[in-house]
Amino acid sequence: MIWSKRGTSVSIDALRAIQSLLPDAEIVESDAPTDDSYAGAYNEAPHIASADLLEGQRLRAHRIDGDPEVRFAGFLDGIQRAKILCHRRGVPIIDGSVAAAIRVRVDRRYVTWGGRAPIILRRLYMPLALLGCEGRAHIEGFEIVDTSYNVRTKELVSRHPAALRAVALERIGRDREDAEQSLAAEWCIDGAEPLFVDGGISGTPRVAASRCAIGVIKSHHTLFADGDALDVVMSLKCGERSSVFAPPSQTRSPVASWYLRLRDPRGHDAMFGLVRIEVAIGDDLAARANEVSRWVLAESSPVALPDNRWDRMAYGIRDCEQFLRSIA
Amino acid sequence: MISALGRVVATERRPNTPHEFHFWTALDSPVGIGTIVRVDGNRPVDGQIPHIYGVVTEGLSYTDLLTPMHDVLSHDGSPERAGFASAERAEIRLYSAAVLRQIPEEPLQPVPMGDVFLAQEEDVNVALRMDGYLRDGSNTGIPIGVYRAGGTDATIYLDADFLVGPEAAHLNITGVSGLATKTSAVEWLLASLFAHFPESRGSIAAVCFNVKGPDLCFLDLPGKLEDSDRALYEKMGVPARPFENVNYFAPYAARGYALNTLRSNEALAHNVTPLTWGLREVLQYAEVLLNRDDIDAKADALIDFITRSVIDQPFTDQMLSRSHLVQSFADLEDWFKDVLRGLENGNKESWRTHHVATIRKVRNRLSNISVRCAGLVTDSGPVSDLPFGEFEDRATYVVDVANLEEDAQDLIFARIVSKLREHLERRDLGVKHVVVFVDELNKYAPSDGADTYVRKMLLDIAERGRYLGLVLFSAQQFRSQVHKRVVGNSGTSVFGRMDADELAAPGYAVLSPATRTKLATLEKGQLMIRHPHFTQPIFVRFPRPAVMTGRMGAEQFPQGGEVTLEAAVYRSLRAQDSAVTMQAVEDAIGLHDEGDVLRALTLTLKERSGDAMATFRARLPRRITQSLKPRPQTAVLRGAPGDDPYGI
Repeated sequence: MIWSKRGTSVSIDALRAIQSLLPDAEIVESDAPTDDSYAGAYNEAPHIASADLLEGQRLRAHRIDGDPEVRFAGFLDGIQRAKILCHRRGVPIIDGSVAAAIRVRVDRRYVTWGGRAPIILRRLYMPLALLGCEGRAHIEGFEIVDTSYNVRTKELVSRHPAALRAVALERIGRDREDAEQSLAAEWCIDGAEPLFVDGGISGTPRVAASRCAIGVIKSHHTLFADGDALDVVMSLKCGERSSVFAPPSQTRSPVASWYLRLRDPRGHDAMFGLVRIEVAIGDDLAARANEVSRWVLAESSPVALPDNRWDRMAYGIRDCEQFLRSIA
Repeated sequence: MISALGRVVATERRPNTPHEFHFWTALDSPVGIGTIVRVDGNRPVDGQIPHIYGVVTEGLSYTDLLTPMHDVLSHDGSPERAGFASAERAEIRLYSAAVLRQIPEEPLQPVPMGDVFLAQEEDVNVALRMDGYLRDGSNTGIPIGVYRAGGTDATIYLDADFLVGPEAAHLNITGVSGLATKTSAVEWLLASLFAHFPESRGSIAAVCFNVKGPDLCFLDLPGKLEDSDRALYEKMGVPARPFENVNYFAPYAARGYALNTLRSNEALAHNVTPLTWGLREVLQYAEVLLNRDDIDAKADALIDFITRSVIDQPFTDQMLSRSHLVQSFADLEDWFKDVLRGLENGNKESWRTHHVATIRKVRNRLSNISVRCAGLVTDSGPVSDLPFGEFEDRATYVVDVANLEEDAQDLIFARIVSKLREHLERRDLGVKHVVVFVDELNKYAPSDGADTYVRKMLLDIAERGRYLGLVLFSAQQFRSQVHKRVVGNSGTSVFGRMDADELAAPGYAVLSPATRTKLATLEKGQLMIRHPHFTQPIFVRFPRPAVMTGRMGAEQFPQGGEVTLEAAVYRSLRAQDSAVTMQAVEDAIGLHDEGDVLRALTLTLKERSGDAMATFRARLPRRITQSLKPRPQTAVLRGAPGDDPYGI
């Protein structure tokens, strides 16, 4: 490791690998921007989408009866990191890491799931076509991910450095999601116990169809409610859920979903304590929504502070995230 | 294979150093303040994997909360809701440890990252450098207690060479009163010392001053032990039985014939000997009792003259009415009277350069010593003393001064310690080493106040005693208030439960706050030890002493009441010779006066002959026959007339 002026580390072996392939690549000595700085570059703009109701004729608020139940046995989360190591005439070469793990609750404390070791992957993300070294899959032990083409459109990406970075970061995000989904799939093979998945479960058909995987989505770039339905969602009180609906998607597996308010939003913004839950489509979705809502509500304590998403984040997910940050 | 219980951690803000390191453990690990651990380094240094031994001095525990407010929010402000939380917060047990030893010892480096293990018995030996003095053939280990942590039971040994000398010496105990720390620890340690003191280092005895209550009055009687105590005795190889050879010494009560000790029950009289001193013994240590403001150079000169030229030798002077042989305070008083009468008759103001006023003052000061120390100092009686020159190996000599006035205590302490020192210098005490135990050092060697003779003696023992084999075991409640040179010269320091105020004294700043807290809450039977071989204090457990406690002894053997002269003599003689009867004692005493009887009794007890009654009779002066001389003829009174009612 070598150290930048601000104390962050740069992998010298990764730099050596790149310089063996691209001797004229310029090392980025200053602290490269983190992936957060590019979040807006590849994320979609927030928008509203309509969804088909799976419960009732119109979307309305449902009070969750009964006490919260502690039922989740495992918590799945993943992290990603990206750092621009060097560039060649503005074409960025990014050192990306993803990690995912399941933490299970034993005696009210979290330990790493014994069934599968955490996934930790480290790759170099670079547009090989623009760097003139197509066909390379590895450099000195480092796996290379070619970011020359847009995954959706299959077109050569723009030469604009920001666009190149955005594509690389999107690939890193997908790799993280893949790592999470593979762990979730393994849990679901023999998992009878519920698994709390940070994010959606619709990325993998096997997970999306499993009763033990419960996806809890904290961010709401897409709100699946329009018109009066949106008013209902925004007005949910603490301990209330929306009617069950099916989020529309052409590329993802069908799931049942609903909104749930975990905390009293008074004095906060409308999204405070609001999560969207995804479960496999099955019989009696209303009863299932009430049951799973009770499970999720039980995870609102202890609070995931000091994380700034504490109003929506389960403490088990925070623990998982802290674990991954300490090892990856 | 023993599994690791922790991992060394270091950050830029809390780095490891060559003398301190930090590690974390699982929440249920058996680590606590005082636990000894071993770190195995990951990388070899000079081809050797480093092993670092440390003792835990501080512990921290915290969660991932940034502020307590977050926890309040977590439970909606209601403590009852804490139990309903789905999980516990992530929590850490982070410990700091002071390095005891690094192997290899050179180069001395900061403690590396590595796994942390609970120290096993062999690790404890290495960590505390006990491996250096527990070798076969040159074992000088004296068990002080058992170190216990997480299933490890390791006997902790002091090095006899550093406890008794000549390397270092002396031991000091600090602890609050009433929690079985000071006296119990000394009783246990003496038993351990007697059991393990190596033959190659010579013989050893103990002289204990019982300064309060019945603490040391029943050392030869068995106490109440529990199975856990017996297990400790067995582990440390010390017999769980009372001291076998104990001799008690106590002066007489000021009024009466009983000894002034709480061990005055008739059933325990067999090893209690009177402690009585005469003029010769006292005058050597007169300065202990005399007020320095009163005794100036002139008075000193006269006392020196008396000691050198008057005591124990025929003294004649033209001015005196007769020759004097001064052997007692009574003789000295006669001598003074004769000198002063001679001065008055000759109308002189000085005699042999000594002014009459000086003579009067010295007479006044010396003559009241026997009053101030009544029971200890006799006007005319013989001497009964400790067996200087005949001390026995592994014997304990207890001098009970608990009920005496301060002057008498000072005199006893000063004279006995001086005699011990003299005999040790001449190598004719009977033993090679003597442990002197003094409690209440706050009183006898305070850090402030007048520079008393007793304090000077204690300083002398502390600073030079180890070269002679004179070892001071001292105890007090407040170490910070004892003279620094006394405690500073104690090679070994022992701490029991401490008072919080005392722990706030600057001298304890070297201890971590957690160690100080542990000291303030120590259970009975726990001690913290500092010893020259140990680079950090170590906590140990010790068993109850196998002797009867003072309280139990006082209940089972109540103090004998005031007795008649005949009964006192009978009890004393019968302890030596069971054939002695009360009738025989009464017949022997007859009309003898009290002084003659006590003198004869003391001589008899001192001689320890087989026939105590015969010896006693032989030591009584032959006054009865004198009193049976025919009475002188007296004039016959004239008879009164029959009619004179007032006639004689």
